[in-house]
Amino acid sequence: MPGESGYAHLPVTKVPGWHGLIAWDALLNGMATGLFMAAAVSELAAPAVFTPVAKVAYPVALALLLVDLGLLVSDLGDPLRFHHMLRVFKPRSPMSVGTWCLVIFSLPLTAAAALSVLSELGIDFERARILAVVVALPFGFGSAAYKGVLLSTNAQPGWKDARWMGGYLTNSALLMGCGELLVLSALMGQPQATAILRIAFIVLLVLNLIPLGLLFANLRPTHARLYTRGQQWLVGVLMFAAGTLIPLGLTFLNDGLIFICGALISLLLGSWLIRFVYVKIPHTPPLEIRSGE
Amino acid sequence: MPGLGASFGRGAATNYQQDMANSDCILFMGSNMAEAQPVGFRWPMEAKEKGATLIHVDPRFTRMSAVCDVYVGIRSGSDIAFLGGLVNYVLSNDRWFHEYVLAYTNASTIIEEGFRDTEDLAGLFSGFDSQDDAYDAQQGHWGYEEPGNGRQAEQDASKDTSQAKSAKGRHGLHGHGMDGNAEPHTSPSKDGTAELRDPTLQHPRCVMQILRRHFARYTPEVVSEVCGCTVEEFMRVAELLCSNSGRDRTTCIAYALGWTQHTTGVQIIRTAGILQLLLGNVGRPGGGIMALRGHSTIQGATDVSTLYDTLPGYLPQPAAYDGTHEKLSSYIVHEGMATGGWANFSKYIVSLLKAWYGDAATPENDFAFSWIPRVDADYSALAYFDRMSKGGVKGYFLTGQNPAGGGPNAGLHRAGLRNLEWLVVLDWFQTESALFWKNDPNAPPPSEIKTEVFFIPAAAAQEKEGSLTNTQRLLQWHNKALDPSGDCRSDAWFLYNLGKRLKQLYAGSTDPKDQPLLNLTWDYDFDEQPRLPDGTLSRIEGEPDLEKVLMEINGHRLDETDPHSGRPRLVSGFSELKDDGTTACGCWVYSGVFPEPGRNRTNERKITDDPFAPEWGFAWPNNIRVLYNRASADPEGRPWSERKKLVWWDFEKRRWVGLDKPDFELDKPPDYKPPPGATGMAAIAGNHPFTMKCDGLGWLYSPGIKDGPLPTHYEPVESPLGNLLYPKHNSNPTVRLFEGPLNHIAHSPTADYPVVATTFRLTEHYLSGPMSRFNSWLNELQPEMFAELSPELAAERGIVHGGWMTIRTARGRIEARAMVTRRLRPFVVEGRVVHQIGLPFHWAFAGEVVGSNANDLTALLADPNVSMHESKAFACQVEAGRLEGHAPQPTVAAAPWPTLDPIPDTPASAQPEGKLGHGK
Amino acid sequence: MASREKQLSALLQTSDPPRGLVSQLVQRLIYPFRYGEPPKPRPPTGFYTDTTVCIGCKACEVACKQWNQLPSDGFNWSGNSYDNTAELSATTWRHVKFIEQFGEGSSAERGSLDVTVSDHNRWLMMSDVCKHCLAAPCHQACPTGAIIHNEFENVYIQADICNGCSCCIAACPFGVITRDKVGGHSHKCTLCYDRQRDGLEPACAKACPTQSIHFGPVDELREMARKRVEELYRRGVPEAYLYGDAATDTYSELHSFYLLVDRPSVYGLPDNPFNPWLHMMGDYFRSIAGGLAAIVALFVVVFLLRS
Repeated sequence: MPGESGYAHLPVTKVPGWHGLIAWDALLNGMATGLFMAAAVSELAAPAVFTPVAKVAYPVALALLLVDLGLLVSDLGDPLRFHHMLRVFKPRSPMSVGTWCLVIFSLPLTAAAALSVLSELGIDFERARILAVVVALPFGFGSAAYKGVLLSTNAQPGWKDARWMGGYLTNSALLMGCGELLVLSALMGQPQATAILRIAFIVLLVLNLIPLGLLFANLRPTHARLYTRGQQWLVGVLMFAAGTLIPLGLTFLNDGLIFICGALISLLLGSWLIRFVYVKIPHTPPLEIRSGE
Repeated sequence: MPGLGASFGRGAATNYQQDMANSDCILFMGSNMAEAQPVGFRWPMEAKEKGATLIHVDPRFTRMSAVCDVYVGIRSGSDIAFLGGLVNYVLSNDRWFHEYVLAYTNASTIIEEGFRDTEDLAGLFSGFDSQDDAYDAQQGHWGYEEPGNGRQAEQDASKDTSQAKSAKGRHGLHGHGMDGNAEPHTSPSKDGTAELRDPTLQHPRCVMQILRRHFARYTPEVVSEVCGCTVEEFMRVAELLCSNSGRDRTTCIAYALGWTQHTTGVQIIRTAGILQLLLGNVGRPGGGIMALRGHSTIQGATDVSTLYDTLPGYLPQPAAYDGTHEKLSSYIVHEGMATGGWANFSKYIVSLLKAWYGDAATPENDFAFSWIPRVDADYSALAYFDRMSKGGVKGYFLTGQNPAGGGPNAGLHRAGLRNLEWLVVLDWFQTESALFWKNDPNAPPPSEIKTEVFFIPAAAAQEKEGSLTNTQRLLQWHNKALDPSGDCRSDAWFLYNLGKRLKQLYAGSTDPKDQPLLNLTWDYDFDEQPRLPDGTLSRIEGEPDLEKVLMEINGHRLDETDPHSGRPRLVSGFSELKDDGTTACGCWVYSGVFPEPGRNRTNERKITDDPFAPEWGFAWPNNIRVLYNRASADPEGRPWSERKKLVWWDFEKRRWVGLDKPDFELDKPPDYKPPPGATGMAAIAGNHPFTMKCDGLGWLYSPGIKDGPLPTHYEPVESPLGNLLYPKHNSNPTVRLFEGPLNHIAHSPTADYPVVATTFRLTEHYLSGPMSRFNSWLNELQPEMFAELSPELAAERGIVHGGWMTIRTARGRIEARAMVTRRLRPFVVEGRVVHQIGLPFHWAFAGEVVGSNANDLTALLADPNVSMHESKAFACQVEAGRLEGHAPQPTVAAAPWPTLDPIPDTPASAQPEGKLGHGK
Repeated sequence: MASREKQLSALLQTSDPPRGLVSQLVQRLIYPFRYGEPPKPRPPTGFYTDTTVCIGCKACEVACKQWNQLPSDGFNWSGNSYDNTAELSATTWRHVKFIEQFGEGSSAERGSLDVTVSDHNRWLMMSDVCKHCLAAPCHQACPTGAIIHNEFENVYIQADICNGCSCCIAACPFGVITRDKVGGHSHKCTLCYDRQRDGLEPACAKACPTQSIHFGPVDELREMARKRVEELYRRGVPEAYLYGDAATDTYSELHSFYLLVDRPSVYGLPDNPFNPWLHMMGDYFRSIAGGLAAIVALFVVVFLLRS
């Protein structure tokens, strides 16, 4: 329209090429680090109960981590240059912090996983294994914590307001880790571990509502700009149901394997949905532009 | 150009571009300097920074208007009304510069008894021959009154009637009609020293009174009605011009093709000339008229004459039908002038003949004057293509020109090309003119076209050397940077070698008509193989040494040998030229450009504190930067003011001195009065600055122009409106219409085409496209043909911004994207709303991006003076939608990325940034 | 076009001697970690762009493309005034913007014959470029160290280090950087680092015919700019101001700053640029807190129920 030419109605920032793959990466990152941390904390708090589960959890966490690293590398514009991130360590760059944390984390985690597998085969290096777990713990925490900061310390619309993205993601990592550990214990037929973890899982599900709620408060103006009320309600209900209500319900109801697995799957779905909707924010044109077409 | 020559004496911009920084006020009209000459535009911006007011009067609000202080929108084609209004304002409010006008212009000169103005004859001057549609200046009594018994100023009655006919311009000689002053049969007076004048300016037939009467009807209200601006806007401009002129302040007027491309173009410029003379701005720093040319060397193209009707230096080409041109002596008598700068006419023509024919030109054979081809008809570009479209031309050489895309009524031009038997195109890309036989969407299939087309690849600007002459008459040399690739050759190489081969073909012939070719001096070979700037030898064989050509242009003394070079001595200026055959000079206005061996002044690049930069290039004439600068001092020789001093008389040294080279005889005192009957420069008084005129005055009234001694508002030939000022004559009565089935005209007033159309340039592209639409970096800036229109017009026609629209005229139909913008607005003219659209003329069917051609809409019309067409104002109709049929497809694929292979001998980190990191 | 791109991409981008496969691999691994002698710091340089003398000629855009041998972005007629290149990107490092501000149309549209002309018609033109921020978010964000402040204190992307992670793209509040399609790396204005090192001025500043783009030491530019604003006030242009010449509460100063005559958002610039790193510590804190809370909760539950 003449007279409306100009730039006032056009977005100023550019959208980075971060699409759905990032949501999967956030999910897998949380699943891997969360599983490791849950297993480590549980093992350190109650080794008698949790050591067998933990020994299975570490290799699984490593596998998840490797998949996550693969996703991260392939998402680079030039994957063959991923090692360039090891040229420098820049504490002010969340991506640099995360890269180093992940790289350093992977080493003791590999040791812990290897030693766990070896111990299953009879070769026992218990103290070395515990040492590896303890060394890996802070770096695992860092690997979980950096993701949310990376996704909120930028100039992207919506993302730049999400002060609690980090808080939510780290908390959610532990939550998912707890859930995965619960399923692992059930699968391995560890009733005591399962019972304890059921209770922990419920506690964490409820606890997670706090950072999640705070995150949504951060994002409400953005969502209002991008989606109709109906859309907002629909997605919100889906997220809440899949991420909290159904897992809570299923876990409360029964301790059978099916219920527990169902709870985890629902939680993972809900978590993925939250991440997916978040990643899509800068790619979504504002409502007035979409309806104007 | 004739407009300037007719007013001041030389057909060129009066000042130089840098001088615009000295203006207190600049009026841009018919110009879009910021878009079309952005590099030169830094000088008006500097003026603005110093506090000057920039005014832009134009049909569209352009990027120029955005940086001007005042913008006034007027209807395209109403310029004379606006300028005439300014003249009337100046005269009625007594704002003219009295001392200047009285002393330096012909305001006081008295005109012949029988002269009748358009006021008397309802739109015509006396002397109109309705059979020929031309004026006869003698019949019209346009001349000055002679002293004695009031007899009319006449040539001898013994003059040929055929010569009188040639004054009519039908098959017109244009001659130094480019200067508009030197056709003696229209020269107003026989003796420039003995004109009758009335210093009180009261005589009813003095020029000032004629001027007043003539412009009396151009009141502000009339201006508003005809132009579509408001009275307030008009008055504001008038006030700004007046208050910025006079002793202490100067105003400059700048124009370009927005004025020249009209059938009244020359008269528009004349009106500006009158205005500037009345305001006393000519010959003053920051004043004058800047003619902003549209090409880097078009000034040069008229100076060294690629025009059919002039020889180099604005000497008229002899005509076959003019009996006085048979012999050199009668040619000199009739084409020269007794008084003023043109009195040396004989020296110029003889020197030219010696330059061309060397020893074969002797006093016995009239210096081979008979060998110069005579014109026998109109061979100007438009007339030529008209003839071509009717089958009258066999073959054509086309070098660096694109008539199939850029010619007005391009469809007719292409039809002309289809009628040729053979066509040679020299260009660096296959332009529309090279591809007319295959890619023209409006043409019959190639099987039906019989023209044999030869495409000769041409060198680019950096691959050849030569000089350019720009708008301020400045010659600058450009050096060759590298050899052209493959078979590409410069135009000079082509023409030089063509000449050599033709001479070989005719060698040994004794047929008289072959003698001119055989005796043409044609020796411009390099003495040794030239080197490129990096020291390597050029691999091109047969390139002419253009410095030798420049030396020929400069001129030699044939009777003296330079001891250093062993060749005839170079002359230092045109004052050294003789008419006895001892000098040779290829173009007298450029003489002085190469005064010593090795001193190519066009290649000088010295920058000093002197803003005139006299050692940067060479400005003709004589390296004078501001023409007529004698007028910057008062009649006593003192500067009009300290602030605006330029040249002045040094009372001690008894010489003219100053900041610029004086455009005056250096030792002629200001109080010099010519004795009666004096000839040549001695006939010019010491207080008459316009030395090329026979009386040394600036001509407010100038009878040398073919459509009238004074400008008159006429509508464009195609206009939706009639002429409000003179309803009996809607458009220029002397305009040349080329009747024919391909050139239908919707004469003014036309109801079929109610929208006024104008064409314009964008900075991003150049002319019809060959130099820009093959370059991706330019194409991405302006990829598609579009038309600009106001929201009001768009609403009326249902055209959507960003959508498509079609525009049609009596000649063709095109489609364009619709740029609906408030920068164009409808005008209220003569009581009704008139809409305007703007069309960029850069697109056609050959290139990386293609589109519809605005020139398919324009008409083949010509003004009588210079055969200029009228593409700035014509009539059209617009509709929403697209044309049926296929749109033209690009003829060249877009340049891929990277645009070049990696640069050799260079590590990866030093390659241009855009190449780094291709996954490696 | 794509095949030609591939063809040319496959060419060696250098005249270094060709290597065998293993040698190439080792070279690739080692090359990014090699460091040379850092150059000595020089007086900081930058741009001062005076939009009031810009004539929208786009010489800057073309000069930049030509000097850096950047490709065209395709031929798209946008209809947004005379701006058909739309935005800054990896392949357009100078971008001229046009904003038409014209008053209501003539009353002719309402059927009356009065033609009113607004005196406030403006066509604003501005040559956009990387702002070379003193505390550049892109520099903070870059994990590979590709983005540096060079010896002239300009922000420079070392294109042979960048791996295309896009953190800089996310971080820039001015939307300057994008990734190119062929290599996947980020590119932006280099402030003609290669020209500066040879003592030349950047191509755009050289080409600008009206000296709208000034290049030089930043403090000289600021001096010049402030004088210019005062001059404009004197001339009756009170809306003139400088954008980015000085630090604000939320953003550092820009080494490529502007003289504007309307709100920044009219020009497509952020009205109040905000440095995302002001939030970083808080975000880490919240992230750690969220995680620790969960860890503590888990630990407590496990510990209490362990028997």
